[in-house]
Amino acid sequence: MAEHIVSAYNKELEVLGRKIAEMGGIAERMLSDAMDALSAVDVDLARSVIAMDIRLDILQREIEDSAILTIARRQPMALDLREIVAAIRVSGDLERVGDLAKNISARVLKIASEPRLPRAIIGLKHMNEIAATQLKDVLDAYAQRDVEKVQAVWKRDADLDALEDSVFRDLLTFMMEDPRNISFCAHLLFCSKNIERVGDHTTNIAETVFYLVTGESLPMDRPKGRVNGLKLDNEAPETTI
Amino acid sequence: MSAVVPSLPNLPVKVAIKNLSFFYGDTVALKKVSLPLYANSVTAFIGPSGCGKSTLLRVLNRMYDLYPRQRAEGEVLLDNVNILDPAQDLNALRSRVGMVFQKPTPFPMSIYDNIAFGIKLFERLPKSELDGRVEKALRGAALWNEVSGKLGASGLSLSGGQQQRLCIARTVAISPEVILLDEPCSALDPISTARVEELIDELKLQFTIVIVTHSMQQAARVSDRTAFMYLGELIEFDETKKVFTSPAKQQTQDYVTGRFG
Repeated sequence: MAEHIVSAYNKELEVLGRKIAEMGGIAERMLSDAMDALSAVDVDLARSVIAMDIRLDILQREIEDSAILTIARRQPMALDLREIVAAIRVSGDLERVGDLAKNISARVLKIASEPRLPRAIIGLKHMNEIAATQLKDVLDAYAQRDVEKVQAVWKRDADLDALEDSVFRDLLTFMMEDPRNISFCAHLLFCSKNIERVGDHTTNIAETVFYLVTGESLPMDRPKGRVNGLKLDNEAPETTI
Repeated sequence: MSAVVPSLPNLPVKVAIKNLSFFYGDTVALKKVSLPLYANSVTAFIGPSGCGKSTLLRVLNRMYDLYPRQRAEGEVLLDNVNILDPAQDLNALRSRVGMVFQKPTPFPMSIYDNIAFGIKLFERLPKSELDGRVEKALRGAALWNEVSGKLGASGLSLSGGQQQRLCIARTVAISPEVILLDEPCSALDPISTARVEELIDELKLQFTIVIVTHSMQQAARVSDRTAFMYLGELIEFDETKKVFTSPAKQQTQDYVTGRFG
């Protein structure tokens, strides 16, 4: 793609891209550290994840500010417009991924004094591996503007949903086996929900990248992986914001 | 994600441009351009200087007939009648296809006469009816409230933005079917520009509007469809929302994003 006639415009877009990449790196790191902290009940690591979130929040603000300024200054059109809208959306999703990793870490601090049940964490670790791979793939796809990769990520989110269902049933079983597991497993339930939501944000990013590259939207209905879903008929739709 | 924006309604084609080529002497200014102009909608022509967009506009009411050594080939069908036909009555054509220019061109006469002049060319009306038509035209151009108390004042005493709306009123007064706007806001301040754009929105309910503009933002704001031209060729013609959010051609993309070499 040719450069803009106004070179400062190029720079503004480059800076946006760099900041998104930095956010992506931090979010990935937070997610994997949060899981490590959870499986080892490592309080120090959990605290460092919580501390990392601040940087993510600052970057998101900076991205929003400069995106708004660029819109005001340059009146971006076509690909540039999609680029800037994508940056705003992706930074919002990554910021939320950071919040979810932070929430997992905060739970590590809470369960540190509880009796542990290592086998209850196995399913969660598996979920987290999938979520982390998905996040990495979607960020690569964003950097490379790779539509095929994006669609693969988008379709794979169903796996995570299905796994969440099975983790839910496992945790329920552990809680019924021994009521002393309830507190620990309840925290793990929230963690599995958090990981599932990371998957939703990854899917959001996939949709954004698809729009960025093609100018078209992916279908409104996302692939569903739930067999006999957790959702009740009268349950309000999940918010992924 | 891009919201689901309803597509434009299916409107009849008012003007069909078919294989239109245009020559200034030996220089080719338009190369086999074909596109439809839909009734009751705004079509914008955009492109860098010299791309042929103003030439295309000038063909639509045969302005070029005023100049020697300029000629058009192909067809321009206005309600299925080829207006390039040498037998075409030019006065009749120009009463159906009105034009507003880049710089306001009020006649050196009163505001009232600026409007009445055109009407009198085509119709002989009693004074009271003429008054009514003048008022209607001025209201149509959103100028009535500003000039109703001074219709006898010279058209030249108005501000630039008012003068341009006076010219639009003059065009509207003879009830044309198509209105051509050649960079109508390029000499106007932002407030006057906003007024003219507001006016365009209202005028399209009655007329077929074509606008040539250098301001891409303006094209994006006021038009339903956009034609991007380059070196005398029509590169892309599509719904405006498509052209400015995800154009099909690389050249269009480069132009609307400010990357043109």
